[in-house]
Amino acid sequence: MSNFDSLAYFLPELALTVLIVSLVLASVLLKSDRDRIVWIISLAGLAVTAVLLAIQPATDQSIFMGALAVDPYSRFFKWIFLVATAVIIIASPYTKQLDGSQRHEYYLFLIAVMFGLFLMASSLDLIIVYLSIEIVSIGSFILAGFLKDDPRSNESSLKYVIYGALSSGVMLYGLSLLFGMAGSTNVFEVQAALVVLPEKAHLTLAVALLLILVGFGYKISMVPFHFWTPDVYEGAPTTITAYLSVAPKAAGFALALRILGTAFGSTGDLNIGDWSPVPGLAFGSVIAIFAALTMTVGNFLAIQQNSVKRLLAYSSIAHAGYMLMAAVILNGQAFGAIMFYLAIYLCMNLGAFLVTIFVHNRFGYDEIDDWKGFGFQAPLIAVPMGIFLFSLTGLPPTAGFIGKVYLFSVLIEAGQYWWLALVGILNSVVSLYYYARIIKVMFLDGEPTDETVTGHPVMTGLILMLTVPVLLFGIYWTPLMGAVQSSLKFFTQGM
Amino acid sequence: MIGDYLPILFVFLLAAGFALGALGLTHVVGPRIKTRVKLSAYESGVDPVGPTHSRLNVRYFLIGLVFIIFDLEVVFLYPWAVIFREQAAQGPFILYEMLFFLVVLLVGYLYIWRKGVFEWE
Amino acid sequence: MAEFGFTGIAALVIASSFWVVTARNLVHAAVALMGTLFGVAGLYVYLYADFLAATQVIIYVGGILVLIIFGVMLTQRISSAVLLQTHMPNRPLAGVVVFFLFMGLTSLLFRTPWHEGEQVMPESTVTIIGTSLLTKYLLHFEVASVLLLVALLGAAYLSRREDG
Repeated sequence: MSNFDSLAYFLPELALTVLIVSLVLASVLLKSDRDRIVWIISLAGLAVTAVLLAIQPATDQSIFMGALAVDPYSRFFKWIFLVATAVIIIASPYTKQLDGSQRHEYYLFLIAVMFGLFLMASSLDLIIVYLSIEIVSIGSFILAGFLKDDPRSNESSLKYVIYGALSSGVMLYGLSLLFGMAGSTNVFEVQAALVVLPEKAHLTLAVALLLILVGFGYKISMVPFHFWTPDVYEGAPTTITAYLSVAPKAAGFALALRILGTAFGSTGDLNIGDWSPVPGLAFGSVIAIFAALTMTVGNFLAIQQNSVKRLLAYSSIAHAGYMLMAAVILNGQAFGAIMFYLAIYLCMNLGAFLVTIFVHNRFGYDEIDDWKGFGFQAPLIAVPMGIFLFSLTGLPPTAGFIGKVYLFSVLIEAGQYWWLALVGILNSVVSLYYYARIIKVMFLDGEPTDETVTGHPVMTGLILMLTVPVLLFGIYWTPLMGAVQSSLKFFTQGM
Repeated sequence: MIGDYLPILFVFLLAAGFALGALGLTHVVGPRIKTRVKLSAYESGVDPVGPTHSRLNVRYFLIGLVFIIFDLEVVFLYPWAVIFREQAAQGPFILYEMLFFLVVLLVGYLYIWRKGVFEWE
Repeated sequence: MAEFGFTGIAALVIASSFWVVTARNLVHAAVALMGTLFGVAGLYVYLYADFLAATQVIIYVGGILVLIIFGVMLTQRISSAVLLQTHMPNRPLAGVVVFFLFMGLTSLLFRTPWHEGEQVMPESTVTIIGTSLLTKYLLHFEVASVLLLVALLGAAYLSRREDG
C-alpha cells in the first residue's frame, strides 16, 4: 500500500507519536511538580490510542510498502502492550520509590517504549526489526536507570546498555548475513530467496539465524542471553521491572515468532497453520535446548532469592522458558498457546509486582520473611497475591493452569520432545516451592491481628481488577481462547 | 570512476603532509636548548600545578551528542533536497514527510534547550 | 592502480583497528579509530557508494569520534587512563575461541553464494537514496527520527542534575 494510504492504518501509532511529542512539550512547559497533568495527558493519549486501535478495520494488510503488517496477530499484541502500559502508568503515582524523581520524563519514555513495541509486533522488514528493538532498548535503558540517585539503578542501566549494545551488534551481524544472501530486507523476499538457496549456503544460514536469535533471546531474556536480567530487574524501579518483565518480552515473542515463521518458514505463509523451516534449517531442537535451559536456570536462580522482587524477576526468566517450549513446534496451536499464556502472564505477573509495590510502599519491606502475617493485616491484597502466585505456579483453578496446559499440550500433541515436556513439568514443581513459600509466610506465619491495612484505593482497585481475569479465565477460558484463535491471522504476501 | 576520487586523495595527502611537515620541520630546524624551565609546560609564566588532563564537564559530551543528531538530520536532508523538485510535482506529501522528521527532532532540541543543556553557568 | 588503492585502504583499516584494540592508552585507541573509520569510508568509495562514504566521514569521523574522545575525557583519573589488565586467566582459551570464530566466519565468507545485485553503475546514488528513503523506506526514515529523539532526551535526562 502506498505511504499516503497507509496512514489510515497507522492511526494508533500516529497517536502515540503525537503523545510523545506532546509529553516532551509538557515537560518543557510545565513545572516539575505538575506530575498529575502529565499523568492525565498520558492516560488520555493511551485512551485515544485504544479507541483508534479498536476502530481499526479488521483486515490483514501490509502498510508503508510492505514495511509493517496490520493484521489480527499484531493487533492482539498491541492490546497486550496497551494494557501493560496503562496499568503501569496508573500505578506509578502511587509508587513511593518514584517520589522525588522527574515523572514527566518517566511517562514520556514509557510511551516511547510502547511505540517501539507496537512496531516490533508488526514489523515485516529487517530494518524496522532493528529500529524498533533499538527504540524499546534505549527507552528501557533510561527507565532502568531512572532513579538517578540510586547507585543500583545506575548500575542496572549501565549493564543493560552494555549487554544491549553487544546483542544488537551480534544481531545486526546476523541480519547482514541474511541480507547478503537474500538481497532484500523484506521478510517475504528474504523467504523467497532462502527457499532456493543452494546447499552450500546452509551453514551460513544457520549461523545467521543463530546470531539473530541472540538479539531476540536478549529481549525475552532467554538463557544464555539472560545475564543482564537479574541486575536490571533488581536495580530498576519496581514499576519498570514489572513492565520490562511483561511488555518487551511479549513483543520479543511476537517478533521472533513472526520472523521465524515467515522469513525462515518453508512457505512464508503463517496462515497455513503447520509449517516447517526452510530447507537446511532445523531450529526446533535448538530452541528446545534454549527452552530447557531458560526454564531451569530461571527457576534455580529464583529459588535462592529472599527478596520478593528478585524472586519474581528471576521467575520471569523461567516463564519465558515455558513459552519457548511451545515455540519449538512451529504450528498454529503453538502460536495460540504462547499468545494465550502471554495474555494470562500479563495479568498475573503485573498483579504480583503491584502487590510487591504496595507492600514496599506501606511497610518498606522487601524480604520475604518480612511479609509475615501480611495475610491477616491486608487480606484484600494478600488474597489476590495468593491467587497470582498460584497462577504463576500453574495450579488450578487459575488461568495460569489453563495456560500451562495449552503450552504442554502443544508438545504432547506433536508427539515429539517428550523430554522437554518432562523438564517443563519438573520445573513447575520447583517453582511451586518458592511461590508457595511466599504464600506460607503471608498466611501461616505470624499472628492474626485485628488491625487491617488498606492502601490507596487505586492500587487496591488495580490489583483486584487484575485478579478477575486470572480467576475467570481459569474457569471459563473460551472467550480468551476465542480471541486468540481469531487473532491467528497473519498478513501474508500473495505470491 | 574510482579515478574521480583522486583529487580527494590528494587533498588528504596534502593535509596530512602539511600537518606532519610543519611539525617535523620545526623539530628539525628549530634550535633546542633543554633546561628544566624550557621543558615545563607553558602556563603563562606560572608554575603548572596538578595533572594536565582535567576531567571534562558532561556538557561537552551532551553537546557532542546533540551535534551528531543534528548532523544526521542534515545528512538526511541532503538527498531529500536533491529529489525535492522532481517529487514535489506529484503533490506536497514529500514536504510533510520531511516536516514530520524535523518536528520530532525540533521538539527534542526544544527540550534540551529549556532544560539548560546549553547553559554554561 | 585501483587494486593498489584498495589494498592500501584495507591495510589501513586492519592496522588501525588492530591498534585500537591493543592500545594501552584510551586516547590513543580513539585516535587510531579515526584511521579505521576513514578506511571504511574508502571502502565505501570502492563500492561506488559515494553518499555513504561522505556520510561515514561526516557522522563517524566528524561526530562519533569526537563524542568518543569526550567520553574518554569524562572518565575519572584520565591521566592514568592506561588499560592494563594483568590477570587474564582465560587468555589462551579466549584465543582459541577467537581463532576458530575468525576461521569459521572467513570460510563462510568464501563458501557462501552471496546475492548479487545489479552490475550497473548508478549515475548518482544520492537520487536513488533520496527516492527510496521517501518512498519504500519512508517508515524507516520517520521511525529513525523517533529513535533519535528518545536517545537525545534520554541522554539529556540522565546527565542532568535534578534541580535544573
